[in-house]
Amino acid sequence: MTMAASTTAEPMTGPLGSPLRRLAGVPAGVLLAGAVLTLIVLAAALPGLLAGGSPTAIHPADALRGPGAGRWFGTDELGRDQFTRVVHGTRPSLLLGIGSTFVAIVGGAALGLLAGLGGRAADELLMRVADVALALPALLLALLVITVTGTGTVNVMAAVGLAFVPGYARVVRAEALIVRRSGYAEAGVTLGLPRAALVWRHIMPNALAPLLTLATVGFGTSLISASTLSFLGLGPRPPSPEWGAMLSQSRTELSTAWWMGLFPGVAVTLTVIVVTTVGRYLQRRFTRRGTP
Amino acid sequence: MRRSLPVRATILSAAAALAVLAASCSSSSGGATVSDGKPESGGSVTYAVDTEPTSWNIHVSPQDITGEITRNVFDSLVSVDEKGGVHPWLATSWKSTADLKSYTFTLRRDVTFTDGTPFDAAAVKANFDHIVSKSTKSLLAVNLIGPYTGTDVIDRYTAKVNFSKPFAPFLQAASTSYLGFYSPKALTDKADQLAGGGSAAVGTGPFVFTSYTKGQQAVFTRNPAYKWAPDTAAHAGPAYLDRLTVRFLPESSVRVGALTSNQVQVSRAIPAGQVSTVKSSGALQLLRRDQPGGSYNLYLNASKAPFNDQRVRRAVQRGIDIATDVRTVYRNTYERAWSPISPTTVGYDASLKGSWPYDPALAGRLLDEAGWTGRDAQGYRTKDGKRLTVEWPLLPAQYVRDNRIVLGEAIQADLKKIGVEVSRPTLDNGTYVERAYGGKVDILDNAFARLDPDVLWALFSSASAPAAGGQNATFLADDQLDQWTEQGRATADPATRISVYGKVQQRAISLATVVPIYVPSSAVGAAKKVQGLTFDASTWITFHDAWITNS
Amino acid sequence: MTFGDAVTGNGTLAPAQDRLAPTSAGPRTRTARVLRAVGRRLLAVAGVLLGAATLAFGALQLIPGDPVSVLLGPSTQASPRVRAEITHDYGFDQPLLVQYGHFMGRLARGDLGISYQLQRPVSDLIAEQVRPTVELAAAAIVLAIVLAIVFAVATAGRRSLGRTLAIGWELLAASTPSYWVGLLLLTALSFQAHIFPVSGDDGLRALVLPGLTLALPLAGVLGQVLREGLDAALAQPHVVSAQARGTGVVALRLRHALRHATLPLVTLAGWLIGALLGGAVVVETVFGRPGIGALALSAVSSRDMPVVTGVVLLSATVFVTISTVVDLLYPVLDPRLRKV
Repeated sequence: MTMAASTTAEPMTGPLGSPLRRLAGVPAGVLLAGAVLTLIVLAAALPGLLAGGSPTAIHPADALRGPGAGRWFGTDELGRDQFTRVVHGTRPSLLLGIGSTFVAIVGGAALGLLAGLGGRAADELLMRVADVALALPALLLALLVITVTGTGTVNVMAAVGLAFVPGYARVVRAEALIVRRSGYAEAGVTLGLPRAALVWRHIMPNALAPLLTLATVGFGTSLISASTLSFLGLGPRPPSPEWGAMLSQSRTELSTAWWMGLFPGVAVTLTVIVVTTVGRYLQRRFTRRGTP
Repeated sequence: MRRSLPVRATILSAAAALAVLAASCSSSSGGATVSDGKPESGGSVTYAVDTEPTSWNIHVSPQDITGEITRNVFDSLVSVDEKGGVHPWLATSWKSTADLKSYTFTLRRDVTFTDGTPFDAAAVKANFDHIVSKSTKSLLAVNLIGPYTGTDVIDRYTAKVNFSKPFAPFLQAASTSYLGFYSPKALTDKADQLAGGGSAAVGTGPFVFTSYTKGQQAVFTRNPAYKWAPDTAAHAGPAYLDRLTVRFLPESSVRVGALTSNQVQVSRAIPAGQVSTVKSSGALQLLRRDQPGGSYNLYLNASKAPFNDQRVRRAVQRGIDIATDVRTVYRNTYERAWSPISPTTVGYDASLKGSWPYDPALAGRLLDEAGWTGRDAQGYRTKDGKRLTVEWPLLPAQYVRDNRIVLGEAIQADLKKIGVEVSRPTLDNGTYVERAYGGKVDILDNAFARLDPDVLWALFSSASAPAAGGQNATFLADDQLDQWTEQGRATADPATRISVYGKVQQRAISLATVVPIYVPSSAVGAAKKVQGLTFDASTWITFHDAWITNS
Repeated sequence: MTFGDAVTGNGTLAPAQDRLAPTSAGPRTRTARVLRAVGRRLLAVAGVLLGAATLAFGALQLIPGDPVSVLLGPSTQASPRVRAEITHDYGFDQPLLVQYGHFMGRLARGDLGISYQLQRPVSDLIAEQVRPTVELAAAAIVLAIVLAIVFAVATAGRRSLGRTLAIGWELLAASTPSYWVGLLLLTALSFQAHIFPVSGDDGLRALVLPGLTLALPLAGVLGQVLREGLDAALAQPHVVSAQARGTGVVALRLRHALRHATLPLVTLAGWLIGALLGGAVVVETVFGRPGIGALALSAVSSRDMPVVTGVVLLSATVFVTISTVVDLLYPVLDPRLRKV
């Protein structure tokens, strides 16, 4: 699995290239991505607006029809309209990505603060633990967690989140160390400032920006990892129209019903592309220092 | 010598069998490959299967696939044909006492295990005792062997098997591979390795279990000393094939692709959508046989809410559009089931056909009567603020056969229409078994291959409770069902058996603890150059008589 | 693990200072420094392995349910006597620390435990499945390197078009789930066009599609690193003078610049192995191939913890070994980093 890495050496252009076309200073590519992203969020919030009908209602008479009029994405073996299912699948799919990113941020922040503020021993211990976690591919780590917790939506969020905690922990730890080594900490203690205030008023605001920009770009990887676990059968239960689960189920019919294996995958890829594009743009625009 | 089912039942079941064969005669060959020409010795065949045994210990495993594959390695006392007639195999003759509590077998004297140990009455005793031993933890064989108390070794080649209660189904049970024979030496020396198969699986059969690679294949090589095939077999001597390789390919598209590209020569579990591919191929043939035994049924847990209310059970039974769902998911290749046992089972009650059709209006009325009159935001029924939801767990996808997940989704959609929510969490094997056997879920599903209608005892008798290792997933103790199934076990008179088993089927449907869905059918694809393949009475493909033409 | 970390060499085993610290002392002190650096490295390695083993032990304890029931499997017929025997055999009745000690001892002897489901040693199960995965990995590495070189050579040094293509390709490669790529390839080239076989693991042809699927995300990352290295190398004086002499575009890149661009790739070796193993789980599932990935997935579905922890430990060991070898080898490969 790859991380949508950002190379800060690149100038501010999006995938559609050169600094030619911009609107209000925003490159055309990023604008397009933003528009698509809005559509995706709309599909997650109000799927009924974009696709009528129920994603779970079966129409046996229409089983396994290819894309056509009124059936933009075709139908599956139970006659369920694939377009409706993909649209209604936006919410569970996005939730998987958001949930895992949230777990990674919260877990990462907690561990990072502990490492940065908790003294040398805690720091060493936690960094060794992070080393162990980083020695394993993220998917294997997530699988290990799933073995303990069992399958299902929430467990996938926890597993993927935990697998990405070390990266986020590093960011927060770096900020915590900076604050701690600077004069703030001692001055604060001298002035009787409680530790909590130190954390909330000095560390977190500084850590927040790099953390959030890391998250917008890392959301893509989290989404891919979570949908992979779902594809492997470890995620949301049937008949959920989550995209990874849809692709997993498409396999039995793939030799004849190619459309079942196409559109949910396009949805995942498109979502990751637009989030990453917008995320990278925001990262370049709003980060004062480079990413660590 | 006593046969378990004399003339009248034989005609009845023969008629049923003929009817089924006639119905399925559209395929190029019915139940066996067309054998033209003489068998050729030598060659090897690769056989692709859809599930992999989790344990190779034939005395423990409840899996159909384990029984099928090890049929090539372990022999049984007797052999049964599809009409229920019993034939000699390792036992040349037998007789039972009038009360059916004791069966005495006279054994062949020329049989040896592949490790050189001779087969004798002591071996029979060692094996049957092993099945019921607590340390074996048998999941199926112990139920098949019924109220077994012990075996007496009368002399070297005579064994007397005793039961605490009259037990008519014993001969049919003794014909299965689950009651097959390990070498007594293997039972003592390799007791803890039996689950792993391979060199620990020492039997008397036409093939030797040479090696097993988990996730890939199991390899079997010919046993040259074999000469004791049952008289239901086409020939008595050693197998024609040098080698049989069983490959585990759970992906149906991969399996059929392997068959069409000749990477494997035989493949079982051809899914409905691919049947036409196989039939239209010039190099392939399709073999079909309806499986006797339990149909693919849903079992409703009557011991807890909401299914402790018979009205809710009946509503679910009538609220699923079974015919349409089965027709859609299986593309007209499977039949809708009307009885908890399939039409090819001896004792099937044909009068149930059409007797409880899809009726969502009736289902709605029943649920209203039962008090589930409220509706929540998603349209599900509620009572006292609680939603009507039932749990129907799923095993991990690699253990689910026959596209049953999709079928389950169709059933979920049907039940949603009458306001019932069906939740399907995926559980690992251990948790699944623990919750299922512990009666903590609402719906369980299964099909159960048996030729003898005694399968109804396994499915509905309260003595067959899961806590005791049985298969009764309805968790209901019904006196009449208990009484009738015991009666069926205790008599060999076919008229009585047909009568009581008919009553059992009728009552099970009216109690609505079971919802029959489809009749499982074995669809096997094979290259035309593979000849001599036959279905045995359990619809398992056997390879002893098979050969491959080299031309 | 992020690719960014791998590229900056940040954090897993050696602090960056070790590699670049200059020295001005004589040979004897230099040997001492090298020995100390190696010693520190080995200690770090041991630390990671110990940590991974502890993680495995912890996971085994965390599985819900009574371990005896998990071991016994589906049967509910075990008598209390049998349960007591199993508890004693496996040492479940002993204090946690003692169990930990036994666990570590067995691990040191190479005993990874017994699979709950199959009742066979985990090390046997893993050994049986290694070959197909290694074949797949080898195919993927070869394909990834070829694709990366083609990509880098085609896009390095060119201004806007190259950069656009590069960014676009890299974004696409990072955003496409590899299981979907596998499904697409399978549909197009196996089911529809019948060019490649659909099944399992027979022969070279069966390796192409799975290898390609596994290689694509790797090629994305490798290609980007290679391109940046190539960009840097193309700016070097000796390359510029070759260009002035009239060397062709492709020859310039392949013969003069590539050698210098490949060095950073070596640091990615550890990450590469991890990505291969993680990707194998997906690819083996999509293509119905046997291997370590398929073994791991089936163990996860059955909650067969000993097998899962066995695979985890294998992965950690391989990663750590390769990373250490690379770290130690790096000064050998790059003379600029050798101590004076």
